[in-house]
Amino acid sequence: KPECCCLSASTGNMDGEEFTMLDALNKVTACYRHLVIALGSTSDSQNLREELKKTRNKAQELAVANRTKLTALLKDKNISKDDRAEYERLWVLFTSSVELLEVDMKRSLEIGQDFPLKVPTRHLIQTGMTGSTTTVAARAMSVQNMKYEADANIDTVDLKELETEIAQVDQMMEEMEMKVQVAPWAVEAKQEAGAELKSTVSVGNSSVGVISICEEEPKETVEGETGLMKVFAGIIFTGVLLIAGILGYLVVNL
Amino acid sequence: MTINTLSQDGVQRQQMPCLTKMERMIISMQDPDMGIKLRNQRLLITVIPHKCSISDEEALHVGQLFVKYGYIYPLKEPRNLILKADDSSYRFQTPYYWMSTRWPASELDYAIYLAKKNIRKQGELIEYEKECYNALHKRINHTWDFVVMQAREQLRASKQRRKGDRIVLECQEQAYWLVNRPPVSPEHYKLTTLTKNTIAITYCAVKYNQIFFLSCLFFLARNRVKSSICLESYVKYCEQYQPHDPIMQGCLPSNPWITDDIMFWNMNSETVALPTKLRVERWSFSFMELLNDQMGRKEFLTYLEKEFSAENLCFWQACEDVRHGETAKIPEKVDEVYKQFLAPGASRWVNIDSKTMEKTLEGLKRPHRFVLDDAQMHIYFLMKKDSYPRYLKSELYKNLLARAIVPQETKKSVFPFMRRQRHSSPSPALATQTAEDDGKAKYSNSNSGTASRL
Repeated sequence: KPECCCLSASTGNMDGEEFTMLDALNKVTACYRHLVIALGSTSDSQNLREELKKTRNKAQELAVANRTKLTALLKDKNISKDDRAEYERLWVLFTSSVELLEVDMKRSLEIGQDFPLKVPTRHLIQTGMTGSTTTVAARAMSVQNMKYEADANIDTVDLKELETEIAQVDQMMEEMEMKVQVAPWAVEAKQEAGAELKSTVSVGNSSVGVISICEEEPKETVEGETGLMKVFAGIIFTGVLLIAGILGYLVVNL
Repeated sequence: MTINTLSQDGVQRQQMPCLTKMERMIISMQDPDMGIKLRNQRLLITVIPHKCSISDEEALHVGQLFVKYGYIYPLKEPRNLILKADDSSYRFQTPYYWMSTRWPASELDYAIYLAKKNIRKQGELIEYEKECYNALHKRINHTWDFVVMQAREQLRASKQRRKGDRIVLECQEQAYWLVNRPPVSPEHYKLTTLTKNTIAITYCAVKYNQIFFLSCLFFLARNRVKSSICLESYVKYCEQYQPHDPIMQGCLPSNPWITDDIMFWNMNSETVALPTKLRVERWSFSFMELLNDQMGRKEFLTYLEKEFSAENLCFWQACEDVRHGETAKIPEKVDEVYKQFLAPGASRWVNIDSKTMEKTLEGLKRPHRFVLDDAQMHIYFLMKKDSYPRYLKSELYKNLLARAIVPQETKKSVFPFMRRQRHSSPSPALATQTAEDDGKAKYSNSNSGTASRL
């Protein structure tokens, strides 16, 4: 059955606000990773450290909000099977996002420690990146322009905060695993291989407009397969019945 | 400041020391005064700074390592991860993409990268990348939605940067994945590895079958003895040795383990003046018995000296020394033996047949522990067949046998409570029956001393 997916390149089953929250978390995680990649290179600066901090905090807020919402949904016993499968899928999305975020946070701590900014000779790696990352951070924070109001020694101060935040995220993930019993490997993804090509997002194209696509989900083959199996089973069953009947008849008559 | 770099299985990972060293070198290369000279790269209309090239004077080898581990990546031929000593350009990799044992490249990241590439190239991935993509789609299918979402978002985030930076980002990521997931050409793999493997396997199989067949032949051709005959000889052996067995026969003067009296050991030591009768009798059982007993060996040597064939025994002893001695001293020992016993015109030349002599002399060129085995065996059998029976019939032996002492059994003290009890540690299981045990001990004590025939 065909499924129409519309909106600015977010696909999958629309589930209202849960999905928009997850989408936001996903966006912020991607931007955070982008910023961490710039750490230690020539585009590293005090501003970048502040951007990292703000993005990180936003990501954590979103993560907490998502977690409360999803845990509430999953703990509800009165949801239908389909709904439950859907929520489990969202849960897997959520956990993957938070795991990625956690790894990036730990790496940013490591790189931040290795490349301090307030030293007489900075040894930042000359990677060829010269532009600033303000636009990326602005996208993450969903603002037009970033405001920079931090102190000059943010690189050292922030690292301590980062440590505590990493510990918090670790704890949150542990709690999540304890409280919600979802088997991630049992979740089936909705996207097929190559699904990302269905949307016309390309590097050269700088406009991110509203695109609506109708994509057919190839469920027929799957259904066809299950139908075949059923027919096969039926044939075998009738065959066994026949044989049993014949044997019984022979036993009675001989 | 320590942070728990715990991986998913809870193991604390450390960065490999070689990678830490390389990191430090890379960082020091960034020094504006002492570091590497950097220039601008021109790509049509964009100018990207910070490209460098390695010249002959600099350590080419270290540079090779840098490229191999991904700290530097080439700009012209990104798939060719080698360092060229010409004018080709390279660029430094950002610290996030440095190789790290603490943060190994994960499958999820690779999937996201491939998805991004798929979008950028509109589905035109390279063969091996397509295969990896499909394999990953199967393996981490449960997070595939996340992969797609994240790929799209990351591309959108990178679009916010300038063109030059975007190119650098792409190059960086590509270089990272070329290092961490090197391409394997499928045909090449199939052709060379598979055929090599099959050839190797068939050769091994043939060799193994050969060896198996030969060993089967060898085992079939082994000498077999009927169990009736074997058991007969076993019975004979037991009968012969029974009077000499301390447990079956009891030992004179007294069993040291029971009475704590070590006279038995003193009387049977190697350097005693007169041996016990039982000991001398044992020498007549077999040649090996005689040789294993030091005193017996000495006596035999005196006898052989009278017969002017002492060099046989000396040679045999020297060969034993080589066989059981230190490996480092083997060459010199073998040399000594050769000079003393085997060289033509040696002082104590031993009579070995020509065939064995030839073989031994051949082997002496490459001396090892068992090179003198054949010669030793020959001499051993010579002695056993010839000298040994004559020794047993000789006056020397008979005199010694007559002179050998039979130790007296230690007198038991009349009063039972004066007897020394055995000093065995109490078994915890019998802790409650100590009284009974004492009685039993006294009973067995009196039994062991008398030579009661069973």
